[in-house]
Amino acid sequence: MRPAAATAVLGVALAVGVPTAWGLTRPPASVGASVEQVIGTATAPSSSPTAPTSPAPAPSTSRAVPSSPTAPPSQAPSSQAPAPGAGQGSDTAEPAPLPAGGITVRDAAPQVIPAAAPAPARLTVPTLGVDAAVDAVGVEPDGQMTVPAEVERVGWYRFGPVPGVAGSAVIAGHVDSRTQGLGAMAPLREAAPGDEVLVTDAVGGTTRWRVVARELISKQVLPLDRIFSRDGPPRLTLITCGGPFLPEFGSYRDNVVVVAEPVP
Amino acid sequence: MNSIRTFSRAAGAVGVAGALVLVATPAAAADTATVSVLHAVPDTPVDVYANGERLLDDFQPGTLTDPLQLPAGSYDLAVFPADAADGSGTPLLSANGVAVPAGANATVVAHLKEDGTPVLTPFVNDVSAVPAGQARVTVRHTAAAPAVDVRAGGTPVAPGLTNPNEATLTVPAGTVSADVVLAGTSTVAIGPADLELAEGTSTIVYAWGAADKGGFKLAVQTISSHSAPSGVPGGTAGLVDDAALPMPLMALSVAGLVAAGAGALRLARSRG
Repeated sequence: MRPAAATAVLGVALAVGVPTAWGLTRPPASVGASVEQVIGTATAPSSSPTAPTSPAPAPSTSRAVPSSPTAPPSQAPSSQAPAPGAGQGSDTAEPAPLPAGGITVRDAAPQVIPAAAPAPARLTVPTLGVDAAVDAVGVEPDGQMTVPAEVERVGWYRFGPVPGVAGSAVIAGHVDSRTQGLGAMAPLREAAPGDEVLVTDAVGGTTRWRVVARELISKQVLPLDRIFSRDGPPRLTLITCGGPFLPEFGSYRDNVVVVAEPVP
Repeated sequence: MNSIRTFSRAAGAVGVAGALVLVATPAAAADTATVSVLHAVPDTPVDVYANGERLLDDFQPGTLTDPLQLPAGSYDLAVFPADAADGSGTPLLSANGVAVPAGANATVVAHLKEDGTPVLTPFVNDVSAVPAGQARVTVRHTAAAPAVDVRAGGTPVAPGLTNPNEATLTVPAGTVSADVVLAGTSTVAIGPADLELAEGTSTIVYAWGAADKGGFKLAVQTISSHSAPSGVPGGTAGLVDDAALPMPLMALSVAGLVAAGAGALRLARSRG
């Protein structure tokens, strides 16, 4: 009788305890700050439709265009001489006030857009053993970001910022593949705040980053505008898949999003 | 004063389209409009006045202002030759009571009509989001020339464009070699010129000038309206599936359940 009772109790303890212990000892799905807190600003990309994309300062010294012999040198902020007798500030109250200060005028001839900074070529997270080649990628016909088919390579979203300039530079990789096994980004699920991330560009320059957030976010509610923001402080955003696998869709339910800040 | 009538008509167009723009971008500031000014009348530097106040001094042909945030309202516009004494003389072009509706994004272009007379035309700019990976390109005919075909890489993409009309295309981002030919011919009027159509932007290309005034030229204005990809795919095998208990642990748990059942059964039998 006694051994029987003991067996029953032990059995129940085992049946309940094993899954509970497993659940408790797993790394938390999210650590550090939330992704929304650390990326960008509240500015949705389309809310500033008037910002000129050509880097604003662009003094048009690169007027390599032959078709504009009469165009004058672009005029630096042509200071607005106030109307006679209006004092020296143009912000004197007038009906329908015009913009204060000078209005920037530039040569409208087609410009040679200055070459962007070199693209990232290698991503390293020493503490996690991540070391992957980086491809410059765009979008798929269905509008999703392209991710290299080889799971040991990762993709940098080339339409967004390069790592280190304003905005969120996105590098994504497959977590796994049926034929290739685990991907380079698989260890991302264990990233912790403070982990160091290194990005080496095509000409050998390196930027250093420190993880500040890791979050598991359902693909349904991924804050894409925030993650792909092109303004705000420089951020490096690493993305792979995670959460429960949904066999009927052949994909995972969630994205693992890791955000890193530049190390000064 | 033909040009005034034209401008009033066109200003009405801004009013209508401006309301549409406002609907499309509710986030836009409620009480300002975004206005750029392009000078595309050859050989004639000008001063531009709005409501009697000088807005632009010695504004050169072929130049474009940065976007100005103007309070919505009514504007009296006048364009004088730059060498005239300030605010005196007869304006080259003028338009009174031009409505600038809140939320609108427009470019006012001083240019030549097909017959070579100057005119002010306000164009409404499409600032709706450009799909990720794409670029929007708008070509506007503001030159003293008859109908033209705009070609990209030698293929007509905007055939039969007339002054002061426009054509808009959404294309994959990249660099295209564009030229402008007289409609239906291969007589090149402008170009070819390499145009960089940056991802997520509206690139507006103006064909302007006159054959007898320094020839035809291109002017370019760029407006950013990018959007993000629709998602990030990340794995297809389920090797790191987070929902399921790993197999060995599952087996251990089931073994515990079986043991508990067996123990309970024996306990029940011995009691009974």
